[in-house]
Amino acid sequence: MIFSGTTIRRHASWLALLAISVPCRGAAQEISKKPPLEFLRTETPAGISGGRLVVSLSAEPKTFNPIVLADDASKIVVGSLVSDLIHINRSSQLPEPALAKSWSVSPDGRKYTVNLRRGLQFSDGHPLTVDDVLFSFQLYLDEGLHAPQRDLLIINDKPIVVKKAGPETIVFELSKPYGPGVRLFDSFAILPRHLLESKYRKGELGQAWTTAAAPAELAGAGPFRFKQYVPGQKLVLERNPYYWKVDQNNNRLPYLNELVFLFIANQDAASLRFQSGEIDLLSHLTPQNFASLAKHAEARGLRLLDGGASLEWNFLFFNLNDNKNLSHEITRKQAWFSSIAFRQAVASAVDRPGMVRLIYQGKATAIWGPVTPGNKAWLDAALPQPGRSTERARQLLRDAGFSWDRNGALLDSRQQQVQFSIVGASSNPERMSMATMVQEDLRQIGIHVSLVPLEFGALLHRILDTHDYEACILGLGSGDTDPNADSNVWLSNGETHIWNLHRKSPSTPWEAEIDDLMNKQASEPDFEKRKKEFDRVQQLLAANEPLIFLVSPHVLVGVKSKLGNFQPVVMDPVDLWNVDELYWKTK
Amino acid sequence: MNKMQHHKLFLLTMVLAVLHAAVIFAGFVAPYDPATQNREFAFAPPTKIHFTNSAGQFTWRPFVRSSKGDEVGHSYREDTSELFPMRFFVHGDRYRIAGMSMSVHLFGVDAPGRVFTLGTDSFGRDVLSRALYGGQISLLAGLVATAITLLIGTFLGGLAGFYGGWLDDAIMRVADLFLALPWLYLLFAIRAFLPLQMEPLQAFLVLVVVIGTVGWARPARLVRGVVLSARERNYVHAARGFGASDGYIVWRHILPGAAGVIVTQAILLIPQYVMAEITLSFLGLGVGEPVPTWGNMLNALMQMSVLQSYWWMIAPALLAIPFFLGYQFLGSLWGEQVARVKP
Amino acid sequence: MRYILRRTLHLGFLLLGVSLLSFFFLALAPGNFLDNLRLNPQISTETVAALRVQYGLDQSALMQYFHWLRSLMHGDFGFSLAYNQQASALLLPRARNTLLLTITAAAVSWILSLAVGIWAATHRNRFLDRVISLGTTTLLGIPDLLLLLLLLLLAARTSILPVGGMVSLDFEAMSFTQKCTDLAAHMMLPLGALVLGALPTLVSHIRDAMSTALQEPFLMAGAGHGISRRRLVLRYALPVAANPLISLIGFTVGALLSGSLLVEMVLGWPGLGPLLLEAIMSRDIYLVIGAVMFSSFFLVGGTFLADLFLYWNDPRIRVG
Repeated sequence: MIFSGTTIRRHASWLALLAISVPCRGAAQEISKKPPLEFLRTETPAGISGGRLVVSLSAEPKTFNPIVLADDASKIVVGSLVSDLIHINRSSQLPEPALAKSWSVSPDGRKYTVNLRRGLQFSDGHPLTVDDVLFSFQLYLDEGLHAPQRDLLIINDKPIVVKKAGPETIVFELSKPYGPGVRLFDSFAILPRHLLESKYRKGELGQAWTTAAAPAELAGAGPFRFKQYVPGQKLVLERNPYYWKVDQNNNRLPYLNELVFLFIANQDAASLRFQSGEIDLLSHLTPQNFASLAKHAEARGLRLLDGGASLEWNFLFFNLNDNKNLSHEITRKQAWFSSIAFRQAVASAVDRPGMVRLIYQGKATAIWGPVTPGNKAWLDAALPQPGRSTERARQLLRDAGFSWDRNGALLDSRQQQVQFSIVGASSNPERMSMATMVQEDLRQIGIHVSLVPLEFGALLHRILDTHDYEACILGLGSGDTDPNADSNVWLSNGETHIWNLHRKSPSTPWEAEIDDLMNKQASEPDFEKRKKEFDRVQQLLAANEPLIFLVSPHVLVGVKSKLGNFQPVVMDPVDLWNVDELYWKTK
Repeated sequence: MNKMQHHKLFLLTMVLAVLHAAVIFAGFVAPYDPATQNREFAFAPPTKIHFTNSAGQFTWRPFVRSSKGDEVGHSYREDTSELFPMRFFVHGDRYRIAGMSMSVHLFGVDAPGRVFTLGTDSFGRDVLSRALYGGQISLLAGLVATAITLLIGTFLGGLAGFYGGWLDDAIMRVADLFLALPWLYLLFAIRAFLPLQMEPLQAFLVLVVVIGTVGWARPARLVRGVVLSARERNYVHAARGFGASDGYIVWRHILPGAAGVIVTQAILLIPQYVMAEITLSFLGLGVGEPVPTWGNMLNALMQMSVLQSYWWMIAPALLAIPFFLGYQFLGSLWGEQVARVKP
Repeated sequence: MRYILRRTLHLGFLLLGVSLLSFFFLALAPGNFLDNLRLNPQISTETVAALRVQYGLDQSALMQYFHWLRSLMHGDFGFSLAYNQQASALLLPRARNTLLLTITAAAVSWILSLAVGIWAATHRNRFLDRVISLGTTTLLGIPDLLLLLLLLLLAARTSILPVGGMVSLDFEAMSFTQKCTDLAAHMMLPLGALVLGALPTLVSHIRDAMSTALQEPFLMAGAGHGISRRRLVLRYALPVAANPLISLIGFTVGALLSGSLLVEMVLGWPGLGPLLLEAIMSRDIYLVIGAVMFSSFFLVGGTFLADLFLYWNDPRIRVG
């Protein structure tokens, strides 16, 4: 249904006024007075409406509230219930219009003008307007609420200013140009003022939208809306009839009528239920389950898909904190750790292909930097990828003044045996396996390594607070393909600059250069320039090895063959990023 | 004890002695060092030992062939070109026994041949070697923890049951407390505060002692119950009438009655503590790699894919069960003796 | 009567003691609920610090404990940090499912163990008795998790029983009898796992206690009188053997409750297990304390009942 432009313009202003001043809940009589929805038309092949998708979740969602800190399960569920202004397409990894139909950036890069679609409605039928957008950002920026997303809206130490600039226009003012640009808006869900404002005024927003909430209390602009929750068992979402996307044939999305999440904590049990057909989609498979499911997949009507290297990067690092409270033992060993040749020797000795083969059954990729092959835009193809070489490691050590005694043990220039411990999180068996392999690799060049498995809280305490550790194996998952998301790891005063924390200023020239480059790219509007700057950062990291990068596991997903438009990607949510376009093929 | 029982006891003791010797002298019996990773042989199935050569003739000396796996270590095939005869009392990886460094092993094959009697694990380490070495730590942990638990439990339970009154109340309330508390966090805390430089084995033993110590409540309760009723028996009253001291009564009359319960507890606790180590490893409170224990080896088995495809990983359990059976039969034989139960 | 009053008072003090010590232990282990945020490069330390204050995690363990006590007076068990809801609201619906499973498992394992244990004691050292001993020892040597996986495999291969969960997806649409059969079918696997886990201990103790009791001379006298063997065993020997066994009953529910955590997690039974295990690993303190209180109550209640039963059953104790 497409009205003429003039009709819309004539009615727009007083319609908008009506929509805001009369709070309504799915009142059918209002629909005729609202402006028609300006749909977003997708480009994927058209599908067939109907059906139910059953997905397995390894943990229960803890909350439906986007303002409160959320775990992964909650994020997946909430992601299907809400929409943002501008959304990063998980497949192309580029921003595209969502609730906003268009936007423009001022020449100085400090003002984003965003135009909202007309005729938007929440899942309960209530109109979605500029005031809801303003309200949502007010919540995200509220200092008393401590939303975890708030820090993303602080650019150059100043929060973004959000202003209404028209009945369908919002202006975002930044204190400095922002390199990643409109990627900023991804995952900032637009929330219903008519349901949340009173709670906010009373200071009860944190307790809103818990899992105990009734379906009528929730509303969002996502493809689905909340229907039923059975604690410990399942969560049922139903199709949102007011969703703002259509397919090529102008059929309103989503195709699926119901989205059901089953809570199955143990992956082996989930695999069995996937095999038997009870579950339609199972992601984050272990390589072993992937292999055993793949054996008879076709006969059972299943597809096992390897989405390639994810955004997770695992690494080994040494304690380079120059903290006066460190124990004598650690300070003594830091003489080795701070030698670049030593770190490069260790990097030469580790067996990345072995890790890929043994720990991940081939379903991982060796990495030499934080940017994995799955990151299309930012990969530096020119980065050196030296293979494993114990000879090179020995040579580097020899040149740095190390020697070996008659038992083959490595000695430093003061004839002391080189030995240290690696701490790791016991809850992550893959990383502990990596540590075991590193231990054996270093034994080959005469270094005695002991492994100390720690519980996660204890591990963080040592790394971030007391710095009472020698080496550590850790992994991080990038939040976005854009490297700006990980700035705090590379900046010297960054809070996750884990190898050397609590620094006001850089301790080495190369760290100073990295600081400089990261600050530059954060406010550089031109992508090519940013890429060059970050390429240089990657080269500095490779040359100085503060983190010795190991491997990145692949995205492994199992799905029924009959599910159409399904394609796993590397950005979260890897399987449900296009849930509004998934459909059941009849054949 | 009649002749039949004597015979059985002797046989049982011999078998247990051999089993324990195999574990204590793991360095000798095991062909390889438990930490050596043979990365081209990950999850290799047990090496076939042949007695007939390619010409179809039987030979007294068993031999093995080399095998090759595919890219990710599946489907190993035997390479029939070369054969490696098994040799006995060979020189191999060095190991230490009682402070001495030795290199003689019970059996082995020349490199590059490999004899993985029970296959290999995910890193290509020989499972037999690891299982034997692992027994040292696991059995030690199980026995130490059981001993501590039973000592404390019997003492406190006996005290409570024998004297009754407020002492009984107090001890039982403390026992309830011990049963109800979530010890996990205490274990986490202890592990977190152990110094970094502590040997992994020492750290583990500290945890074992703690676990043994906190587990006294259940045996205490059971012993208390039995002592309570034994205390009121006629012969106890008679002995008192004769002027017997408390200690004498406990030793001569009460303990034998409680012996059945104590021995049953011991037989149950040893395997439970040995197996509890799996949970410890799972939670990150186990021994650090590459030290093998039955617990952390069985941990690898806790995945369906391993269970279905790599059946030899169950070796530690197969090795453990004869030990547990041995303890059980020994316990029941001895229990029969002390409690004077007729077979 | 005074005895019961005294024990109830003890129960109260015990629960208080458990809560205090649990808080203490939790505070001892480094780390707290907000740890996962600290490694996230996109969240600043200021936000984490502010959240710590908001959740009251910056206060000393003692202060947090007093806050918890105070809310206990108001009738709530504390607040789950992860769910932003009352702990009791989270625990109760799941507790119902766990109790359904555990109480059924307790009943089944006792009945089974009594049958097997008594039989083994009366036919001691016969071939089948040895087989039973072998069986129980083997079960002890198999870790719980392994047992669960084996059961899962069995269920998947044979397709008779559903592989996990409590009810089928379309449970709501079923008729009453269909619902009952569905629930029963889903309960088979977790029940089997729990019973197999409890069997070795129970059978061993029962067998042992009965053997000892069967040696009593009064039984020989009874046989001389012509009392049937069955009556002798069940009516005369069993009460004598019951002493250690009654203590064991008190433990059974408690032990099964802790055993059910793992069973529920692997087999997908929607009880306390998955909730708790996640709460423990993520340090959701009040939820963990709430659950500890809950299981302590059952544990101590069980031993209390067992003690009462002991006094009732064994008159020799009352004299002393």
